[in-house]
Amino acid sequence: MVREGVAGRDVSTPRSSRVTQRKIARTLKAWAFLLPTFIFIGFFCYWPAARALEGAFTTWDGVSAPIWTGLKNFEQLFHDSLFLGAFEHLFWWTVIGIPAGMGASLLVALLIYRLGNPRAEYWFRVAFSLTLCLPGIVGILTWQNFYEIGGVLDVILKDVGLGSFATAWLANPHTALGALIFLGFPWVGAFAMLVFYAGLQAIPHEILDAAKVDGVSSWRRVFHIELPLIRGQLKVILVLSIIGISQNLLVPLLLTQGGPNNTTWTPVLYMYENAFEYAQMGYALAIAFILFVLSLAFALLTMRFLRSDNERRKRVA
Amino acid sequence: MTAISPRELQVPRTRTEGQVVERRNRHLAVRVPHYFALVVIGILSLFPIYFMAVTGLKNGVQLQENPFNIAIAHPFGTFYVLAWNYLKGDLLRTTLIVVSSVAGIVALGMLSAYTFARMEFFGSTFLFYAIFGLLLIPSFLTLIPLFLEVKGMGLLDNPLALILPYIAGGQAFAIFVFRSSIQGIPEELFEAARVDGASHLRMLTRIAAPLCRPIMIAVALLNITAFWGDYVFPSLVLGVPQSTVAMAIGNFLQPAAVPDVNLVNMQFAAYTIVSIPMIVLFLIFLKYFISGMSSGAVKL
Repeated sequence: MVREGVAGRDVSTPRSSRVTQRKIARTLKAWAFLLPTFIFIGFFCYWPAARALEGAFTTWDGVSAPIWTGLKNFEQLFHDSLFLGAFEHLFWWTVIGIPAGMGASLLVALLIYRLGNPRAEYWFRVAFSLTLCLPGIVGILTWQNFYEIGGVLDVILKDVGLGSFATAWLANPHTALGALIFLGFPWVGAFAMLVFYAGLQAIPHEILDAAKVDGVSSWRRVFHIELPLIRGQLKVILVLSIIGISQNLLVPLLLTQGGPNNTTWTPVLYMYENAFEYAQMGYALAIAFILFVLSLAFALLTMRFLRSDNERRKRVA
Repeated sequence: MTAISPRELQVPRTRTEGQVVERRNRHLAVRVPHYFALVVIGILSLFPIYFMAVTGLKNGVQLQENPFNIAIAHPFGTFYVLAWNYLKGDLLRTTLIVVSSVAGIVALGMLSAYTFARMEFFGSTFLFYAIFGLLLIPSFLTLIPLFLEVKGMGLLDNPLALILPYIAGGQAFAIFVFRSSIQGIPEELFEAARVDGASHLRMLTRIAAPLCRPIMIAVALLNITAFWGDYVFPSLVLGVPQSTVAMAIGNFLQPAAVPDVNLVNMQFAAYTIVSIPMIVLFLIFLKYFISGMSSGAVKL
């Protein structure tokens, strides 16, 4: 290993080589600083990820050595009705859940932003942020109680005269998936709300003043000024929501475990049960592989689509 | 800007007091629907927190009579005491796990982020993307191999089975956020320190770390809430005697002293106790959190 001090000894050493040696020393020092991080992520991120991708092509019970079986898992999955059903459920969850969650968060952010009173705006932000510190599992278990026979939901229905609709929401095959999607009503995400609010705050006052002078209506202001200008924030929340919803294991795992009548399987739950209930690690990893590729592709497509749309607008303007 | 109507220009510069009050009232009248909508949505959003705390105070019969009102079972707070006794060992254990994990994330994350932000070296771009790319790997993908790996290392039922993967998993986001924060520190500060002969480690601990405190707190908070409520991985690697709080409430074991009818009340008392540390932490660091989140940095 060449050290900096050694280089200075020989006067005839060309200048460029001394510079190189200093560069090497600097690089080694930087690598030493990064070493702890890379030891951790090497062991607990890269290695498991590599095993996961490799395991998808094997038959493996998690105890004995995995046997390479190529695409067998994937062929089997395409004929597995539970797996295909799980993707259908995820589709509905995405199509209903993401617009509902983003819409509610955006509505609250806009309402707070329009108050025009900094103190009120601050305290409403605080109030809505409180939901953020409620541990996710606590919220899910609380909703489980709401859905029980005679629970809060049934009481409310009875009070408004719709008591005949009351049912065991999570045990009824017709309502279970809907109940899981409805969970968390009114779906205001504190994180998304704060991000949207920050975006709205960053809109230059000149634009809003100009709109006011031109007599732009409130609705037009939302759709033609505010939404286009927080496009960046909408995009990041949309991508995070897509990734987040595909990972949502806790809700179906705690509340329904795929039942009743297999109406609430999701891909990630099906992966979990295959791995830890049936000890089919290879099959489970193939599910993880497909879900990973699809959610990544979907997120990248979303980013791509929104960007090109944005660029097109710029050109027209 | 050219479309200023003559009417706008004629507004007198000084208004009488009556006009100001009238204007303010009109302003408020326009906002009333906004306040009303926000209050309604807010009540619905926060209802689970209220329900949780109140149900822990009632007994099962009082809950069935009316799930919405506040009623007190005798003796006062009996289910909170039961839940506290049920949870106190798990609370201490979870606190230790969360604190050591978050300390590891912030310390190692700052060290690496400083290296990427302030040092020039061979492979810096490649290594940065090697870390950044981890943000694209979802947790479900690594769940199974990580469990088998931890099992193979003989760490089952050991808190390290959580702490080590937590530290690793938190690195990517922390480094990403810390790096841009350190890059935002004025160059002159580091220049002055270098003239005085300060080493990199000294500049990290004396300049970068104090100036990045708000973002360090925000990252720590996000990780603390995630780990505190984590259920799936802990329930795979830890047994019932080593439960975290999330496991303890997710796999609730009914104590013999609590009859069936009141079990749900003790559960909600336990949910409340588990939530209180997060609510307290949040209220203490609220200012940092809201300002960190409102800086407008989160967009693509």
